Amino acid sequence: MARIQSPPILSQIRVARNYSEQVASLRALKDEVVGHAQRKEKWVQQGVLESLVKILQGNRPPSSLGGKESRSYTGHPRNLTEDELVRLQSLQLLASFANGGPSFLGPLHAVGAIPAILYNIFPLENPPQIVLTALRALCNIADATSLAAPGSDDAGALAETLFLLPGYLNAMYDILASDSTAAVVQEQKCLVCQLISRLCKETNQQNTLADAGILDALATMLASFVVARGEVVPRAEILGEPDGLNEMIPDPAPRGANLAAVLEAISAIIADSCFRAYQLICSPTIMAVFPSAEFSPSANQTSTAWNALEMSGLSSHRAKNPGAIDYLLPIVPIKQPRSLSSQLAQFPPLGFSLSRENLSQSTPTFSGWTPNRFDAGSRNSETEAEEAESPLIPWLIHLTRTTEGLERVMAASVLTSLFKAGFANPDREIALGVLIVPLLCQLLRDSVKEKEVNPATQTSAFVDQDTAVEWAIVERTPGVLARLVADSQPLQQAAHDCRAMRMACTMLKNTYEPLYTQTAPRPWSPNPDRDVDLSEGLSTCRVGPPGKLPIYAHKIKMRENSLKLLAAMVINDECRKALDQDIVPYMVESLFPVPAKPKSGKEKLKATDKVSEVILPIDNSPYGNNPNSVLIAACHLMRAFSRSVRDLRTTLEDNGVAMPIFRLLKHPDTEVQLAASGVVCNMTLDFSPMRESLIEAGIIKVLCEYAHSLNPGLRLNSMWALKHLVLSVENSLKKHILEELGSGWLVRLICDETEDEALRARARSERRGDPNADDDEDMDTEGGGGGGYQDDTTSWSSKYWMWTPKYRTPCPPKFAALRAQSPRMLRAEKRLQALREAELNPTRKARTDDLAIQEQGLCFIRNLMGQPSASLMEMVDHVFEEIGQDILFDILASKLRVKVLHPFTRRYSAGRDTRVLYPQAKVIEAVIYVLVHIAASVPRHRQLVISQIDLLKLLAQHFNSKDIGVRGALCQLLTNLVWQDDSSDATACGQRAHELRKLGFLAKLETLEQADSELDIRERAKAAVWQMKTGNS
Amino acid sequence: MSSLSAAFGLGGSDIDPALRETIFARFREKTGRMTSSTSTTTPSKHAFEARVADVKAPKSDINALILDYLMMEGYPMAAAKFSKEANLQPHREDPSIRARQEIQHAIHTGDIETAITALNELDPEILDKDPQLHFSLLRLQLVELIRQCNGGDINPALEFATKKLAPRAAMNTDFLKDLEKTMALLIFPHESLQPELAALLHSDLRRKTATQVNEAVLLRQTKRREAAIRHLVKMRAWAESSARTKKKDLPDRIELGLHGDDNDRRDGTHENGLEPMITT
Repeated sequence: MARIQSPPILSQIRVARNYSEQVASLRALKDEVVGHAQRKEKWVQQGVLESLVKILQGNRPPSSLGGKESRSYTGHPRNLTEDELVRLQSLQLLASFANGGPSFLGPLHAVGAIPAILYNIFPLENPPQIVLTALRALCNIADATSLAAPGSDDAGALAETLFLLPGYLNAMYDILASDSTAAVVQEQKCLVCQLISRLCKETNQQNTLADAGILDALATMLASFVVARGEVVPRAEILGEPDGLNEMIPDPAPRGANLAAVLEAISAIIADSCFRAYQLICSPTIMAVFPSAEFSPSANQTSTAWNALEMSGLSSHRAKNPGAIDYLLPIVPIKQPRSLSSQLAQFPPLGFSLSRENLSQSTPTFSGWTPNRFDAGSRNSETEAEEAESPLIPWLIHLTRTTEGLERVMAASVLTSLFKAGFANPDREIALGVLIVPLLCQLLRDSVKEKEVNPATQTSAFVDQDTAVEWAIVERTPGVLARLVADSQPLQQAAHDCRAMRMACTMLKNTYEPLYTQTAPRPWSPNPDRDVDLSEGLSTCRVGPPGKLPIYAHKIKMRENSLKLLAAMVINDECRKALDQDIVPYMVESLFPVPAKPKSGKEKLKATDKVSEVILPIDNSPYGNNPNSVLIAACHLMRAFSRSVRDLRTTLEDNGVAMPIFRLLKHPDTEVQLAASGVVCNMTLDFSPMRESLIEAGIIKVLCEYAHSLNPGLRLNSMWALKHLVLSVENSLKKHILEELGSGWLVRLICDETEDEALRARARSERRGDPNADDDEDMDTEGGGGGGYQDDTTSWSSKYWMWTPKYRTPCPPKFAALRAQSPRMLRAEKRLQALREAELNPTRKARTDDLAIQEQGLCFIRNLMGQPSASLMEMVDHVFEEIGQDILFDILASKLRVKVLHPFTRRYSAGRDTRVLYPQAKVIEAVIYVLVHIAASVPRHRQLVISQIDLLKLLAQHFNSKDIGVRGALCQLLTNLVWQDDSSDATACGQRAHELRKLGFLAKLETLEQADSELDIRERAKAAVWQMKTGNS
Repeated sequence: MSSLSAAFGLGGSDIDPALRETIFARFREKTGRMTSSTSTTTPSKHAFEARVADVKAPKSDINALILDYLMMEGYPMAAAKFSKEANLQPHREDPSIRARQEIQHAIHTGDIETAITALNELDPEILDKDPQLHFSLLRLQLVELIRQCNGGDINPALEFATKKLAPRAAMNTDFLKDLEKTMALLIFPHESLQPELAALLHSDLRRKTATQVNEAVLLRQTKRREAAIRHLVKMRAWAESSARTKKKDLPDRIELGLHGDDNDRRDGTHENGLEPMITT
């Protein structure tokens, strides 16, 4: 339609006689559209994007996707040839169109702009300016995508192309690993980092990036900042010599290098993985600048203070052997928390110190890495569970303390990942609470205070640089803080002391200030009648609906992150008590995809009688629609809340949480279902007031359906919730639940992994077409021996995995050889492989999931038969009928057996043909309690249990279990088995006791009675022994 | 000293005389202090001044500062000459410095269209992502158009305003006010304008916009907005005023010492350290 009057510039671009003419017309077009949203639309409608992409496709660089690099990338800007100029102009134009916002994403994708752009990011084939512009265009597209309405999200597709194809990975590696100091290269690096931190969200992408050496390239960049800051550990080059690491110390970071971007990309790749965190720590350049060595300067106030603290008992083991970096940090007196004292008992006594003797010497002295000690250390390393903490961790603490703004947040983020992965010393926890948490809280406080937003920013599609950085800081800080304090009582306390709760509440409230303009307003147009109908025309020329405003996206991110922070803090009782009840309605509104004005529970009840019948508005809420990420964060918060019985019965009930959660349980997105089912687990407990209304709303059907889900997490959570649901309800309801779940399915869930074998195979074939699917193998130690760098980095299988930096990082061969044989490197590689195996082996993961689900399934049966006790017999019979008496006992027995797995014969499995799986305490306990309930029924059922000789023999092996629960359950079982209902049962009871005694149970019980370490067990055993003896007499 | 004058004498084509004078003076003052610090000691010296005299600023730092100023403000030839004469290590040519100079020049001469084209050639993202800057430039272009049509045909100006400025102004109240003010120039005779409107026709607007553009380019390329020396001057002013509010023991006036010892008294109006040339 609009193509009829194709303007002259466009036809010139299409049919230019030579390059220079084309460049001229492209330039003219650029001046036309840059900064003019309306004109961008007009040109897109006239089909300009297609022409641009055609130009790019027609002018491909000489040899794209080329093989191994022989040249190294220098990145010197040079004068462009004419065809390159054409490409540059076209790329600039595409970048400018992408800048127009989400409405241009549709046509850009329709014309295939991304592949055309991607051909230009290869740094070896393209001049640096072109690579830079191509990367910018990609970044702009990624930015626009983040503002697009949910559903039209193409970031995932872009991420998959960019991060999973070896060609582009190599291109990114080449850019990041370039040692050029040219400004243009620094900007390229920065853009690649931004792409990574913006797009890399999936675990498989993170692993691929790590495997492709990109994490190591980033680590090298980080190390170059260490060098530039002059904070390399003294004498690192000497210490690194035996390992061939001395050549690995990089040049200082050049001007224009962006530390925050590097840290953010590293943190995006590592995320929550131990394996990748360790890969950063033992990246050769990091090891080179940070050798772990004890360091004792001649006379230093810090060390004097340390000694003073040590004398007064306020320091711990670590402070005795401080590394050089520790001298950059203030000394934190460590009051040893009770939980830590048991661990510390394993350390050598506090009186012995090497460093104190060294204090008298005038020169700095190192110990720990002299060759002799080193050899001894490496021999012992097999048995040593923990190795010394990397100085990277104190350095990151130091970095967080000495930087500002975004750099500070991102340094704290990387530090958090390493700390959470467990690579920090235990006493760092206290130090983090004193040194890091207050800094992050201060960043939050600054942002909460500065609330006034420029009115122009409220409605503008662009935010200026300063505001953008400020927002980035505010958005990320709560998330980092939440990750840091989660699961750590002392850190939660520290954050609470810094009033993080109150700030998180304020932030959450602020995000619910209504925002009436959410999309960029359409600009006034001098000739409105020519506005073309947006829904017409070819997809390549059709401009989509406008995206959200940056301030809107900012608000939603703030909402998500403040909810995360609250969830991490609310777990702590003290924090929860301090929480203002006013904030709860805001949390509850976050459970609605389209939130309304947050109201307190009472107001809400007044407004509507039944919440479930409210017809939700479909359109946009002025408070900002909640995307899945917010819904999930809100669910996690509710789950944290529901851990408290008091809040479960009061706060959550008063605010009507049940129905929104139920609605989220039926949300189409699996992640949301998963999060909601986590809350449901607690809301279906028998003391929860919300149970009735949930059952009424039909939760049983939904949960039973999810118990059949492919997603193991969802299966686990729904079995967990069902387990709670069947407790203390009427028999009819119990039977109904079992029927809805399907007894056959229940058997498959709890029985011997048959179903999950199939599930796993399916999942495996979906994830990759690897015929060598790994099974029950431990890590291969000999796998990493030889061979070169392999391109196939996507394989999970450990024997194909190669620690690339050991072989790939360019350096003289002499050092490479040294490094390849260095015990330190070998040890690191071995540990990396073990971590990788533990984290990535799908079989292992599936088995863990299976065990957890089996446990819940068994508990489900237990609760099915359990309370109220009046209905016990009926339910036991019902279960026998449904499942089959023999089948049930067989399954129970199989759970108690030691399993021997025979892996396939493979060349790497020499020396270890079988693998033994011991039954898990939790599962054993669940099995025993099922028996306990059967035995609590009528004598007929007790007799049944007694007749399972095999089962009882298996049980007898678990009397010396380390788990208290198992021993307690056994005592309970025996008490029940010899219980005498009335006089008519007397003889049978005596027989049962006799049987048990024959199996040697009495002797075992008596041992427990006398020798068990727990009082509770001794008492229970005493009762059981008494019961058995009286029953027998 | 002679090397410096040679540098500016030869490379003076791209540097305005006032600036040259400033740099000269600063340099002279610094070198003077370094060479004759002992001889200037007088018995009545304030403790603060004694401390000042103790501080030795290395010559290389001063040179680096000057070079940085020349580079950031866009004087490529002077910078090249200076680094050669002052025996600094041959610095990398900043690719944007020449382009920045051309853009500045175009704005100063009122050729905004050329400036926009050159800016887009240098880095199209600057205008694409900064509507404020783009508006300033376009408004300046409108002012130039109005200036050209003084008394004659106002259609080009009107059309330009309708097509390029009006769509933006409708979305932003600040822009709207600015546009309305500019359009008022079409109505009133230029000889008898209110001071507010007259300012639009003054060359200061060009200079201000040129500085804005320069800062935007610098920020994008070096992540710095201005030359280090400007920062230093601001810091000095801040330090002095905060020291005075805290009643620290300071001399009544701290001279900048820009114009040599004998000229200090004359220059007494700028005692807060904000020297007019540098803060514009």
